[in-house]
Amino acid sequence: MKSTKFTEPRKLSKEEVDRKWWEIGDFFRRNSLWMLMYCTGCCAIELPPAMTSAYDMERLGMGPMATPRQADILLISGYLSVKSLRRVIYTYEQMSEPKYVVGLGSCPINGGIYHDSHAVINQLDQYIPVDTYVAGCMPNTESVMNGFVDLMEQIRDKTAKGWIKYKENNEWYKKNQKAALGEVIIHDEFHE
Amino acid sequence: MMNSMNNVEFLKGLMNQNFKIVETDVIDQYQVSFVLKQADVLQALVTLRNAGWIQMSYLSAVDWPDENKIEVVYILMNWERPVHIQIRTKIDRNDPVMPTIIHIYPGAKYYERECHEFFGVKFPGNPDYQKQLILEMWDDMPPLRKDFDPKAYSDRKFTKREYNEDYLVLSDQNDKKAKREARKERAESLKGGQKI
Amino acid sequence: MLLNILVGFAIAFFGFVLQTSVAGVNRKIIARLQKRYGPKWYQEFLDIFKLLSKRATSHGWIFDFGVIMALGGIIATAMFMPLTNNIVAFAGYDNFFIFVYLIAVGMLGMAMSASGSGNPYASIGVMRALTTMLAYEVPFMIIVLTIINTTGFSSLTEIGLFQQASGNTWFLIALPLGGIVGILSLMGMLGKKPFETYIAPAEIASGPMVEYGGKQLGMLFIMHEITVFIEVSLFVHLFLGGAENIFIFLAKYFAVYTFVNLISNVNGRLKIDQVVKFYYKWPLIMAITQAIIAIYFGWVVSI
Repeated sequence: MKSTKFTEPRKLSKEEVDRKWWEIGDFFRRNSLWMLMYCTGCCAIELPPAMTSAYDMERLGMGPMATPRQADILLISGYLSVKSLRRVIYTYEQMSEPKYVVGLGSCPINGGIYHDSHAVINQLDQYIPVDTYVAGCMPNTESVMNGFVDLMEQIRDKTAKGWIKYKENNEWYKKNQKAALGEVIIHDEFHE
Repeated sequence: MMNSMNNVEFLKGLMNQNFKIVETDVIDQYQVSFVLKQADVLQALVTLRNAGWIQMSYLSAVDWPDENKIEVVYILMNWERPVHIQIRTKIDRNDPVMPTIIHIYPGAKYYERECHEFFGVKFPGNPDYQKQLILEMWDDMPPLRKDFDPKAYSDRKFTKREYNEDYLVLSDQNDKKAKREARKERAESLKGGQKI
Repeated sequence: MLLNILVGFAIAFFGFVLQTSVAGVNRKIIARLQKRYGPKWYQEFLDIFKLLSKRATSHGWIFDFGVIMALGGIIATAMFMPLTNNIVAFAGYDNFFIFVYLIAVGMLGMAMSASGSGNPYASIGVMRALTTMLAYEVPFMIIVLTIINTTGFSSLTEIGLFQQASGNTWFLIALPLGGIVGILSLMGMLGKKPFETYIAPAEIASGPMVEYGGKQLGMLFIMHEITVFIEVSLFVHLFLGGAENIFIFLAKYFAVYTFVNLISNVNGRLKIDQVVKFYYKWPLIMAITQAIIAIYFGWVVSI
């Protein structure tokens, strides 16, 4: 073993210093994730057992949060119609970075049991980047907790890069959004 | 509270006295349904409103493609004599026009918008019955008609996820092959809602 | 002079670390009450550091400046707080009225930046926070003026020494009605469950904190922790007799905070007009009665 008295300590390059800071940040980020639960689909009924005494989510550090600006994870539970997709895109772009998206159930994957409906989109991946899917209709609560632990491990291994993909391939996502929604502007139909 | 059979009798007496009813159906002691001609509907609603049926619960339509008619349904409710009334009329399917009722029940404004969006029924007199309420970016026929194919619309508009077919390989057991073919043929023949 | 400032910064830092740990332990206690495991005891630290490492948007310079003003004001207030009879940064300056005056700077900073964001929920939250402050200050001030009249001093260490002198009991027992009013006012100051109107997470989307994310929210959380430290320490010095050494101070602090948290766990949330009506009814009557008893008749309970 080389003695360190006579060899110079190696200076870390800028990328390595950045990476070390980023690793420390990842430790804090994966141990205290705050979720914004977009509970408009059927899979939202799996969340009360995950939050309360049955399968406690707070021991992993996760908790519910009230607004998108304060949250880390956007939890899409179930199907999305064209109307809801507009609002989800608004919400996703309001969150502060780094941000992650989790899709619960089969409906964000390929449409689920609503795949032949005239109002439900079939693939969430085309419009916003998704990091983790939890399959099932609906998934058992243990599968939901497993999905969250998978997301924490992805953050540790630095493969949860949805928000970087959204920034780099912005034109592709915007093209898909325009094809399905026209322009992403919210109108208030009841008062116009 | 009045006896409910009394209420139904009162109602039947009221309607038979004033209008020529095509068909009456007493579903149970709280629900009655009358089928009228299209020209009588407005007058019937005014009479019923003055007799106490002041709440409009629902306005919708049923599509009968075989008879080539659309049946418009109004459901009313009374708080003193608790009987739900359904007023039904059949109108022409190719050009369905029904006069608006927002001067009788102002809350029907949004119901008529929804009925126009999903069935194509026009309501002249309602200033904004053509505005979009629920469906967005719609460019096809009204979706609740029976000859609308939702799967074709979904295939056209939303991209589907593609899967590799490597795990869908059917086993090549010959003794079950005849049963498998028969099952597949039956499934194909049931597509599109047609009976065998 | 420089030594005093350094001791003051050490006290503020100690208060932040103490309150964050106690809050984490309390989350675990409440979770065990609800028959589940809770988070780790250092979970609040992880929350704050995670928030400080996110990038968020800003709404203009008033938004950012208000947060810095709030944090700076609260650290300046915490520097004056005495911990025990001997550990005090600026001896002779730990007057009760200095704290009342300087806590308002923190509140005003948050109000300024919340209204600079332009969200109507923030304005509603700020209005509710200031109304709640209007409600709990009146009985609290009456009780504290009674205490100051009884002891004759208005410095916190002197009040603590008065209660520790032989023959005197803590003011929680000596002025019993005043003790109850003190606890109720403390719950209003901390924003604990019956009086949680100004945060109201699901009702107005967390009130003043609705537009913050990332670093500003992290600084607001630090400000909130130090504010809680100041208020609970005020209660310990005024009603529970100060502390001779640091371990007694830690024990009293932990007991007060856990007690308040346990009460707030089983309550719902009141509306803002109910909060004001509550504080102006029984606590005000109890405070005035206690003041008349202690000042004019001179009766105190002594064990």
